[in-house]
Amino acid sequence: MLDILVSQVANGLVLGFIYVLIAVGLSITFGLLGVINFAHGAFFALGAYFAWQMFQWFGWSAVIFAPPLVGLVGMLLEATIIRRLYGKEPLLSLIVTFALSLLIEAVIRFVWGADGKPFNPPVWTAGIFEIGPLLMTKYRVAVLGATIATLLGLWAFLAWTPYGRILRAGSRDPEMVELLGINLPRVLTAVFGLGCALAAIAGVLAAPLWTVSPSMSANAVMPAFVVVAIGGLGSFRGAVVAGLAIGIVTALTIQFRPEAATGAMYALMFIIMLLRPRGLFGERWERFE
Amino acid sequence: MTRIASDKRSMKIGMAGAAAAMTAIGLASAAMAQDAGPVRIGLIYSKQGPGASIGQFLQRGSELAAEQAGMKALGRPIELIWLDEPNPQGSQQNMQRLIDENKVVAVVGGNYSSSALAMMSVANRAKIPLILPGAAAREITGKDCSRYTFRTQATVPVQINGLMPYVAQLGKKAYFITPSYAFGQDIVKSARAGLPAINGTEIGSDEVPINTADYSSYILKIRQAKPDVVIGGLVGGDFSNFLKQWNEMGMKDRAPYAAVAVTDTDFWDVGPQASTGIFIKPWYYNNPKNSAAEKKMTEAFMKKHGQPPSDKTWSGWIAMRALLESIESAKSTNPQEIVTALEKWKNTEDAFPYYFREWDHQLVRPAVIVKVKPQITDKWDFMDVLKNTSDSAADTEKAFGTKEEVGCNMPAL
Repeated sequence: MLDILVSQVANGLVLGFIYVLIAVGLSITFGLLGVINFAHGAFFALGAYFAWQMFQWFGWSAVIFAPPLVGLVGMLLEATIIRRLYGKEPLLSLIVTFALSLLIEAVIRFVWGADGKPFNPPVWTAGIFEIGPLLMTKYRVAVLGATIATLLGLWAFLAWTPYGRILRAGSRDPEMVELLGINLPRVLTAVFGLGCALAAIAGVLAAPLWTVSPSMSANAVMPAFVVVAIGGLGSFRGAVVAGLAIGIVTALTIQFRPEAATGAMYALMFIIMLLRPRGLFGERWERFE
Repeated sequence: MTRIASDKRSMKIGMAGAAAAMTAIGLASAAMAQDAGPVRIGLIYSKQGPGASIGQFLQRGSELAAEQAGMKALGRPIELIWLDEPNPQGSQQNMQRLIDENKVVAVVGGNYSSSALAMMSVANRAKIPLILPGAAAREITGKDCSRYTFRTQATVPVQINGLMPYVAQLGKKAYFITPSYAFGQDIVKSARAGLPAINGTEIGSDEVPINTADYSSYILKIRQAKPDVVIGGLVGGDFSNFLKQWNEMGMKDRAPYAAVAVTDTDFWDVGPQASTGIFIKPWYYNNPKNSAAEKKMTEAFMKKHGQPPSDKTWSGWIAMRALLESIESAKSTNPQEIVTALEKWKNTEDAFPYYFREWDHQLVRPAVIVKVKPQITDKWDFMDVLKNTSDSAADTEKAFGTKEEVGCNMPAL
C-alpha cells in the first residue's frame, strides 16, 4: 500500500506543477492588473492549438514559438478590450473576459474545427522512469523540468530585474509609477501578454497529454481558479503551494474515492476559504478593498 | 329575480360559447398555419464541451438524412433547429424551448443518458416524439420507458453481452473504469453480472467524474492491480484523454482495453499512436456488410465533408430517417400519429429487418464488434470489424431481452 501511496503523491506533485503553471499567469494578471481573467483557459487552449499548428508546419522545434504568439494575441486584446476594465468593478471584468473566452473558443472551432487534433509526446520522451515505487513517464519528467524552469525564470524576472520592479510597483501604486515618467499603459499591456504567454506554455506542455480540442480550456480554467483562490489572489508563492496541494489531494482521492476526485479540490477550497477567506498567502491590498 | 338570474346564466353560456368558438377558430388557424408552413424538427446535440465533436457528427448525419429526403416532408420544406446538449438541465431547457418557441413536431437528439432522461420528461409532458440516437442506459427503454421516446443505440446490457466473449479471450481478472453517471454505473452492473459466466473476477473498479483531464493516477492504480483486461466506457473527450495517457504510461501493450459505446472521433482525435482496444459500436463506415443505403450515405458524407462518417453520423442519420419515413407513412405531423407510425417503422435494407420494438421503443438491431488494427496506415480507417453482436433476427430479439427482463411498462398514448 505504501508503494502506491508514494507513487500517487509523486504523480500528484507533477500534476500539481501543471496546475501551478496554468494558475500562475492568472494570478499575475489579477495581482498586477486587478483583472479576473476568465479567458485564461482559452489562452491555454490557444497555446495548444498554436503548438499543434507549428508542429504540423515546421516540426517540434517550432513549438516554442506558440507561447510568444499567444502573448502577442493577449497584448492585442489588452490594448483593445481589457484596458477599459482597469479600475472598474471586478464583476465587469468577469463578464467581459467570460465573453472573450467564448469568442476565442468559437474562433478555434471556426479555424480548426470541432474535432480534436492528434498530438502525442515527441519520440525522444517515450518511455518510463521506474525508481523503487516511483513511476513516471519521461514526458512528465520533461514537463516537470520545463515547469520548474519557467517558474524560477518568472520569479527571478519579477524579483531581480528593473522591469519586474516596475511591474510590482505599478500594481501597488500606479500613479506614483507614472509620476516617475514610466509609460504605465505599455507596461500593463506587456503584463497581460505575459499572463497569456504563461497560459500558453501550460497549453503547449499539456497538449501531448490532453486531447487538443476547443473545449480543453474548461479542463484548465476551473483548477486554475481554485489554485488562485486557495493560494491567495495575486500571490505567486500561494499559487505554487496551492497547485501542489491540489495535485496531491486529487491523486490521493483517486486512490481512495475515485468518483470524488474532481470534488476534492473544491472541498479543499471550501475549507481554506472558511479558515482564511483571502487564501493561504493572500495579502490585504488597499487597491482592491 | 329569477328572470335576472336566468339572463345572467344565458349570458355566461353565450360568452363561454363565444370563447370556445374563438379558441376553436384560433386553434384551427394555428393548425392550418402549421400544416401549411415548414415541418420543424428539433435537434439536441452538443455544440460545446467534450461532446462537441460527437454532436457535430450526429448533426451532420441527421442533416444528411433530411437532404437525402430532398429537405421535404409531406411535400413541405423541412426546417431543422439545432440546440445544444450541454448538461441534463440545459438539455431539458432546450427541449422545452424547441417545443414552446420553435413549435417543432418532433425532436431528434440526446447522446448522453443523463441528458436523455431529463429530455424524456419534457417529451412525455408535451407529448412530442423524441428519438434518441445515443444514450445507452438501460432505464431509458426499461423502467423509465415512455410512449413518446424511441432509441436507436443498443442498451448497455446488449453491448456488454456482445463484448464478454472477447473479454473471456483476454483473461479472467477484470478492472472497470467507467464514467460516474447512469451510463457508467450500468456498464459496471451489466459486466459484473456477466463475469461469472466467463469465470471472470473483478479486481478493481473506478468511477471517473466527467470532464476529467488527467488519468495518470487512475492508470497508476490499474497498473498496480495488474488486470488481464480493463473494461471501460469513458465517453468523448474523456476517452480520448484516457487513451493518450494510457499510451504515454506504457499501458497500451500491457493490459488490453475493451469498451462499449465508443465512437470513431475518439480515435481520430488521438491518432494511430495512442489507439488500442476492442469495442462495440453501432456501425462502422468500412464494414463490408453495410447496406446499399448506408454505402450511399457514406459516399454522400465523404463528398460533402471530405472524411468518412463516424458511427455517430449513422446514429443521427438513421434516427432522422426513421422520423421522416414515419411522418410520410402517417401522412401527418400529429405527434400521436407519428408515434404510431414509428412503432410500425421497419428497415429492410440489412440482412434482416430492424425496427423499434413496440413495447419498449428500442431499436432491435445488432451492433458491430471492432478491434483497432495492429498497423494503422489510413488516416481514418482504424478498425477491423470482427463480427456483429448477433447474426439472426431471432438472436437479436433475444439479445435485447424479454419484457420481464427489460421492465418497461409502456403507458398509453
